[in-house]
Amino acid sequence: MDKPNTLWNAWKRNAESEPGRDAIVHWIAGEEPFRWTFKSIFEAAKKFSSFIHNCGIKKGEVCAIIIRHNANLYPLYMGISRTGALPAILAYPNPRLHPDKFRQGLEGMAQRSGLDYILTERELEPIIRPLIEKPGSTIRNVFFPLEWDLTKPADESLDEEIESIAGSVKETDYFLVQHSSGTTGLQKPIAITHKALLEHVDICNEALKVTGQDKVVSWLPLYHDMGLIGAFHIPLASGLTSIHISPFEWILAPVLLVEAITKEKATMCYMPNFAYNFLAEKIPAEELEGIDLGSMRLLINGAEPIRSESHEKFLDQFVKYNFNPLALASVYGMAELTLALTYSEPGKPLTTLRLDRNKLSEGRVKFADENSVIRTCISCGKLIKGADARIVDVNRRELPDGFVGEISVKSVSMFEGYRNYPEKTAEVMQDGWYFTGDYGFKINDEFYVIGRKKDIIIVAGKNLYPEDIEETVNQLEGIIPGRVIAFGEEDPELGTEKVSVVAETKLESEKEKNVLRVEILKAGMSIDVNINKVYLAPPRWLIKSSAGKPSRKANKERLISGEDPLIWSR
Amino acid sequence: MITDELKKVILKQLNLDEFEINDETTAPEVPGWDSLSHVNIIVAVEEHFKVKFKSMEVLKLKNVGDLQRLVDSKLSK
Repeated sequence: MDKPNTLWNAWKRNAESEPGRDAIVHWIAGEEPFRWTFKSIFEAAKKFSSFIHNCGIKKGEVCAIIIRHNANLYPLYMGISRTGALPAILAYPNPRLHPDKFRQGLEGMAQRSGLDYILTERELEPIIRPLIEKPGSTIRNVFFPLEWDLTKPADESLDEEIESIAGSVKETDYFLVQHSSGTTGLQKPIAITHKALLEHVDICNEALKVTGQDKVVSWLPLYHDMGLIGAFHIPLASGLTSIHISPFEWILAPVLLVEAITKEKATMCYMPNFAYNFLAEKIPAEELEGIDLGSMRLLINGAEPIRSESHEKFLDQFVKYNFNPLALASVYGMAELTLALTYSEPGKPLTTLRLDRNKLSEGRVKFADENSVIRTCISCGKLIKGADARIVDVNRRELPDGFVGEISVKSVSMFEGYRNYPEKTAEVMQDGWYFTGDYGFKINDEFYVIGRKKDIIIVAGKNLYPEDIEETVNQLEGIIPGRVIAFGEEDPELGTEKVSVVAETKLESEKEKNVLRVEILKAGMSIDVNINKVYLAPPRWLIKSSAGKPSRKANKERLISGEDPLIWSR
Repeated sequence: MITDELKKVILKQLNLDEFEINDETTAPEVPGWDSLSHVNIIVAVEEHFKVKFKSMEVLKLKNVGDLQRLVDSKLSK
């Protein structure tokens, strides 16, 4: 068979060549997992495609999927693609997220992404239905695919018609829409073509020295590029098994991941940094009996800054369960590039540099000496094939090795711009280069990421925009309008950041301040952000930036560095 | 009915002085009680009552009333 030109054709090839092999192992805590073979998932996808077609969904239209961990999610996704429509997985709202906030976020997202249909669970109907009826809404209808009866025999003439639609899809057509991480309606939509994804599959497999024996295990949500592309699309298109654990179950019972590795003999897994700490410290010792991680070939750290202490904690705990330290690996990438830009070399130790922290903050890479305050930096590896990257200064001029600057990139799997968002695209793209907003440096062809241009807070691999938090907190009574800042504070125990808020208030008594603090925490909850620490400052305490707004960076430094008696915190 | 003792352990772990918690209360209703802090609350409850929960038992908890019943069942053994 020729090399497939669309994902549907890749799935068809796998259904024909490896019909009985496990495609997706859908993990459910305390139960036998549900197993899709390459043949059975393909047949189920065909059935879903008939329903999608009968719903009136057409080629090129975007179908948002908002469904919890469910075995039918995968063939539904594939069925949408067969009709030429574009699947886009969105996060199922956390119960703490206020329904109005969820609706507003979805509305904002729909306008940008051009969401045409929403495929969800019945429970969300009361929230979503009003969006369709609203004048000017881009969303045309809502459907409940988990209620569709898949036991009915397929209508053969309809199936032929859909297959011919699938055959008319070109490799340069868009395949999916994924969103850059973020909160509410601020996520940026990224459409990826069949060609970009299929090339990325081959390039990533080559970089990671993937063989037919590999099995990917994941607890990552599928609305995140690392979960969607790394753990779902790449194995599914390559004919490899992937095992999917619910992120909600995993966070409550992290033992599920090591159990799945042991039972399924998984070889690869992507995780954000905090998960290394979480696994090392939060599994009850008696539940680790019988755990064997000897099959793991690559445990790939990505989606938030890599901390060497997290790797050390992980090794301290799991080497005794046969985890090979050389399986620790790293990735740097972003949804705009489909997934990856760099990978560390499989089976080799990660390059770790001990640098002078002060020099680094001045933008220079200098190895630490006896007088240095040390910052340990872990390499994200080398560029994958078809990718190029430069470190640039504020004027976007290339800097030599050893200088810190913004990472700008180009790759064959890169997006063409944010969907329906030309002004944002213009900000980040120039002459074919995408400017990532991440700060880093390069030494001996290896890339190191050390910070971010924007004040994004990364909590457990999830990007939060301080503007969202500030806007919500700003509406509270007792706070001086416009005098709120949100920022991230490092949590070494958990290996990630936590959200802090500082606000100016005229309130003086301890009791009033405590009440205001709880209101601030609740405001965070309404947008599904857990605020960890609240600082309250008297009027005019916050330092303003040149633009006249309170400066996040300067105020964060001032709060963290000193014990100002004027500051109340809890 | 949840006991004052359990309520105090939860509120202390969440750094809250007072917050209405009853049998029906679920984690997302309580400030600070998210999926990342959940495991710390469970450990605090285990340590306070000198009991041990299995991961599967923790996964099945739907509200604070369930947590109270789980504690009670461990203490009565």
